[in-house]
Amino acid sequence: MQLQKKLASGEFVILAEMEPPKGTDVVAMVANAANVKRTVDAFVIPEMSNAVMKMSSLGGALLLQSKGLETVLQCCCRDRNRLALQGDLLAAQALGVPNVMAVSGEEITHGDHHKARAVNDLDLMELLAAIQTLQKGRDLAGVDLQGAPSFLVGSTVKIPTSDAARLDEVAELDKKIATGVKFFITPPVYETAALEKFTSLLKGRPVSIIPTVLLLKSVGMARYINRLLEPKIPEDFINRIQKASDRVRECVQIAAEIITTLKNRGFNGVNISTIGWEDKLPAILAAAGLEFGG
Amino acid sequence: MIKAKPKPLEEIIDNVKDFNKLLIAGCDGCVTVCEAGGLKEVKILAAALRLYFTQAGKQVQVDEASLTRQCEKEYLAQLSDRMDGYDAAVSLACGVGAQYLAEMYNHKIVFPGVDTCFMGVNEERGLYSERCQACGRCILAETGGICPIARCSKRMLNGPCGGSDKGKCEINPDIPCAWELIYERLKTLGQLDRFERPVEPKDWSTSRDGGPRKIVREDLRI
Repeated sequence: MQLQKKLASGEFVILAEMEPPKGTDVVAMVANAANVKRTVDAFVIPEMSNAVMKMSSLGGALLLQSKGLETVLQCCCRDRNRLALQGDLLAAQALGVPNVMAVSGEEITHGDHHKARAVNDLDLMELLAAIQTLQKGRDLAGVDLQGAPSFLVGSTVKIPTSDAARLDEVAELDKKIATGVKFFITPPVYETAALEKFTSLLKGRPVSIIPTVLLLKSVGMARYINRLLEPKIPEDFINRIQKASDRVRECVQIAAEIITTLKNRGFNGVNISTIGWEDKLPAILAAAGLEFGG
Repeated sequence: MIKAKPKPLEEIIDNVKDFNKLLIAGCDGCVTVCEAGGLKEVKILAAALRLYFTQAGKQVQVDEASLTRQCEKEYLAQLSDRMDGYDAAVSLACGVGAQYLAEMYNHKIVFPGVDTCFMGVNEERGLYSERCQACGRCILAETGGICPIARCSKRMLNGPCGGSDKGKCEINPDIPCAWELIYERLKTLGQLDRFERPVEPKDWSTSRDGGPRKIVREDLRI
């Protein structure tokens, strides 16, 4: 409940993505999470991000919750039908997961199981509406539940770059807010200008916008992102990594600087994504000057 | 062939009731065979709509047409000198034809007049059943010419599930158990060994799961 309380009181929240393993060995996952448990308010457990098969978000979330760590479950339209989604949400709440984040999921073709069937029984808006229906004590068939869940609900938001796209995204965000979404996680942010232009349109809305800070791992990764994805990584960051004698340290430093900037600019928090380098979280948090202790 | 069934008249009326000039466009292809969207059904629907508008005290022009196929531009082009004269069209072609009509005349509203259901056969007049789901990688050679994806309720590739009763599906007793049909057919063909070979999880990327599909036949393209 830490996350909900902090967001309600306007405190800066720190989320960290904690990828479950591709396998059953959870030692590293638990250790990486435990290392930063005093600083991180909740761990976002990705649901097979990039459509790469891993331990489920539900499994990872329950594991960390069992160690006393707060989590954000991701429920994803891609792999489960409405029965499975609802059943997992009930299980998650009954076993202590207080937060949920609805995502549509990357395409199966982007992952490592190209031959699989995508489910997409519910789309993202329908899934958010389904969560709200469950919270009101009924399932999607209209049957009363024996105990209703009460999640803090989150979802994703884009960072549009044109005026028209910004207005479209505000309309989309309003639809999500109407289904009970309280926090939104953005794609990776490297510069705040585009995001601030967008968030300036959101004044008065009772939601928190939590930018993602992605730990760059190499020049190659940065170049790859800039070739295929938006937003682009500033060349300055890429040059710094390239010239650094300790490139990993420089990557950690850049992530920490972005966190500091976001905090100073008054954002509600950050979601730190380290995609496999979760062991670097203590260094990132320390470099960002955030309270840290094992 | 593609099988469709007429939409309820009330639904069509609800869509077109505010327009003044309507075209009802049929298709002489698949939907004519299953008697859902050919010239005959165009005339029936047009007559029903005229009756509705007369009773509603509204003067509406309802014209009729049927094209050889609505899934081909050359035939859709036959409407080019007429479409400007209509506020909206009701296409009685399958979802393919209705979309292509709308694509060709994108300034016109096109409503579907049928519900497109599946690719199947005419068992009898008025009795059509599914045979193919267009998964993009045919396995009929392995299954005695009977498709478990289209005909098994659970789409099992290593059936039967064990729930069938007297050769009928446990989910719907009106449907024959596809795996019983497969077994009997392979027995008749002397190919029961195929039945015993486990099938690997299917590659669904060639089906709709891989996204909207397109066939590019370079050998046929000019």
